[in-house]
Amino acid sequence: MKYEAVIGLEIHVQLNSKTKMFCDCPNCPGDDPNKNTCPICLWLPGAIPRFSEEVLEKATITALALNCEIQPVNAFDQKVYYYPDLPKGFQLSQFHKPLAKNGWVEIFDEEGCPKKIGIHQVHMEEDVAKLMHETEGRTPISLVDFNRAGTPLTEIVSKPDIRTPFEAMEYIKALRAQIRYAGSAECSMEQGTMRVDANVSIRPEGSEELNTKVEIKNMNSIHNVGDAIAYEIERQAKCLDTGEPIILHTRLWDPEKKVTLPMRGKFEGPCIPDPSVPPITISEEWLNKMRTRLPEMPVRKAARFTDQYGLNHDEASLMSSERELSEYFETVTKLAIPPRTAVHWISTQLMPLMKDNNQTFPNLTITPERLASLIGMLERDEINAKSAREVLTKLFSTDSTPEAIVNEFGFRQVSDTDALVSLIDSVLAKNPQAVSDLKAGTQKAMGFLIGQAMQASKGKANPKLIREILLKKFE
Amino acid sequence: MTANIFIHAATDSISDITKGPLSGTMIALQSNISVRNWPTEAGSRALEGFIALEDATVVERLRKAGASIAGNLTMSELGLGLSGNISARAVSEGYADATLSADMMGEARIAAAAHRLIGFKPSYGIMSRFGFIGLIPSMECIGIIAKSPEVITDVLKAATGFDERDFSMSPDIPSFDSSDEIEPSATTIGTITQAHAFLAPAEEEIFKEALEALEDAGFMLKEISLEDFDLFRTVHHIVGSVEASSSGGKYDGVRFGHRAGAAKNWNDMYLKSRAESFGTVVKSFLFQGAYFQFEDYGTFEKACRIRAKLLKTVQTLFDTIDFLVLPQAVRSVPESETTAIDTLYDLCALTLPANVTGHPALCLPSKDGLSLQFIARHLRDGELLSLARYLVR
Repeated sequence: MKYEAVIGLEIHVQLNSKTKMFCDCPNCPGDDPNKNTCPICLWLPGAIPRFSEEVLEKATITALALNCEIQPVNAFDQKVYYYPDLPKGFQLSQFHKPLAKNGWVEIFDEEGCPKKIGIHQVHMEEDVAKLMHETEGRTPISLVDFNRAGTPLTEIVSKPDIRTPFEAMEYIKALRAQIRYAGSAECSMEQGTMRVDANVSIRPEGSEELNTKVEIKNMNSIHNVGDAIAYEIERQAKCLDTGEPIILHTRLWDPEKKVTLPMRGKFEGPCIPDPSVPPITISEEWLNKMRTRLPEMPVRKAARFTDQYGLNHDEASLMSSERELSEYFETVTKLAIPPRTAVHWISTQLMPLMKDNNQTFPNLTITPERLASLIGMLERDEINAKSAREVLTKLFSTDSTPEAIVNEFGFRQVSDTDALVSLIDSVLAKNPQAVSDLKAGTQKAMGFLIGQAMQASKGKANPKLIREILLKKFE
Repeated sequence: MTANIFIHAATDSISDITKGPLSGTMIALQSNISVRNWPTEAGSRALEGFIALEDATVVERLRKAGASIAGNLTMSELGLGLSGNISARAVSEGYADATLSADMMGEARIAAAAHRLIGFKPSYGIMSRFGFIGLIPSMECIGIIAKSPEVITDVLKAATGFDERDFSMSPDIPSFDSSDEIEPSATTIGTITQAHAFLAPAEEEIFKEALEALEDAGFMLKEISLEDFDLFRTVHHIVGSVEASSSGGKYDGVRFGHRAGAAKNWNDMYLKSRAESFGTVVKSFLFQGAYFQFEDYGTFEKACRIRAKLLKTVQTLFDTIDFLVLPQAVRSVPESETTAIDTLYDLCALTLPANVTGHPALCLPSKDGLSLQFIARHLRDGELLSLARYLVR
């Protein structure tokens, strides 16, 4: 039988607020163990959680970036379970009254058609501590690092609108782009600031039923998510084909063996409203303030790039795909560089070199000004394209301006016609065969002679001028 | 003997502040109110060896006002129960002018009544709970026990007020500067018909006489029938135990308190540590809460809705009356820890409504061992104390 998958994702995103969610401790889980702790996040007797407004702002902006409806009142619940990484026997989360509901992000499916993936809700919850399993002599011991305890998360629960592993991966990418744009979280699966759990069930193609789902955890890259879902769909299909029932449970993805394995079921009780953190009322005025803090999001920005700069669809969506990239692009164009030239240089030259040099836009040493002055020289025919690429490479390892490098390494293009004419004459004298071929009308010979002239100039000649001079000579 | 009532008796308790409103006032605390560097075990093995890292807000404020902190007292586990009325004994035996004592279902008021003292439970949300170790966050308050309304007023003035460390506090907390005079002929006091059922015939007679005395003093009395009076107890029991079971998860033996040795794994460590830590009363309360939380959540939700209704009912009562009066009968409060939750609820049946709704309440000794419990409008703690001053005179 042919099956169709019904997939929903639960994504935890670590907000980049300065402090933890209910105390003033720094939100820096990676610091030395237990450095960022206080009686509140250790939940010592007598401590009372104090909800951070900054966390509320970041969570709200995240939800707005995902087109959600912010609820007028949200409140925290106690989600009870006992585990040493949870310092008080319950996690403060939002179950009954989440921060936001009914959002969506747009993706393009395998056929390239746009598709909206619905978001059921976005809520806030605190992260738990980290357990470290070590040995003391021969005795295994478990240590708890509370730096992460109480750091802020938003959980984004999708509707079961996803049908394929590809769509799941596209959804994560789209969601990540939106949130990074909003600036409220870093969203790195590899670094654990974004964690994805998938709920997967299958049904006969064309049917509308919702069957028992299986939860998969422990995927630490977007590719892992795709692989794990693909594996799980196949596993469930085999089960159904052989008549084996599908049971509600949780499975862990094993990235080495590329399989999902069952894990022990987790005990989970219902949530009771937390009596210590009062419900949070959101005023329209405050919400409007948050809306103004939301930047222009990718889809709208891409449309503007098309209108304002004449980019085609692919160029516009590439230049708007990341907030820092889009800002970089716009700054370069404001420095009198033709927009499509800027797109070309950024996407085909700058970005590959950034990757080679391990740089990203936030820590990029090639400022828009440096790139613009380099492209400017090219536009004014002061250097040729080949030199420009070499200069760009050198810019990564020095603080010098592009002009200084051009002068220092003699990249300046020879556009002096007299100098070029004598250079070409000597090339022609050395290549009689090519000259006669060209005279006979063989166009290949033209290219060969230009190449020889370029070589003779050590790459500094203006190839356009060489062509012009040659054409004149053989008119 | 101080030894059997104090856990920690301060050696340098006398305050240096000689001109504060509480200078010369000696205050004892239950050992669930944090004092920096003092053992703060709240009467429970679950907090064994716990030394508070910070002063509770109330302690900080009382000290600033010049109060001397005498020490902290032995108490029933986590404030649940009435064992020995230690907090009232500290005042009646002269160790302190006032005691701060947990009031979750009326414990502070009942202890005061048993020792012919005044027991006061403030409005919910006017006294910071920062540094207070409790069990039922939405119902418990720090109560005050003292000999006179004036001492209670002074302590309340110093201790209350907004604290940014406790977000659950009321946003507009009145000051208690005004000492309004009570005008009996303009004051209506409500009585509740159903309350009489909790009294033995002899007690009922005394209560009736006390009410007549109020009328003779010029107060207007109004009898009100509250058919659903029993629901206060039911709601307190269900909501209170669920909150305790859930919020009490922090007493797990991982970061502080007693931890059982030789556990096979984490789960076993939790089970054994908690089994060894808690006494019978707390255990059965937590069990009952866990039952509703995990097995009958719908009933908990219903109880929350009924609680909201009860609050409305009481608020509506105050449209036509200024105070409510309930009898607090002479009951021998058990010297040892109460062992059955039901016994505790029987003892607290008339005091717990104020914990369910958060209203301020005050127990004032009356005739023949009877105390009268007055309840005022929310945040009108000042009026309640004015009434007490008037009646004591």
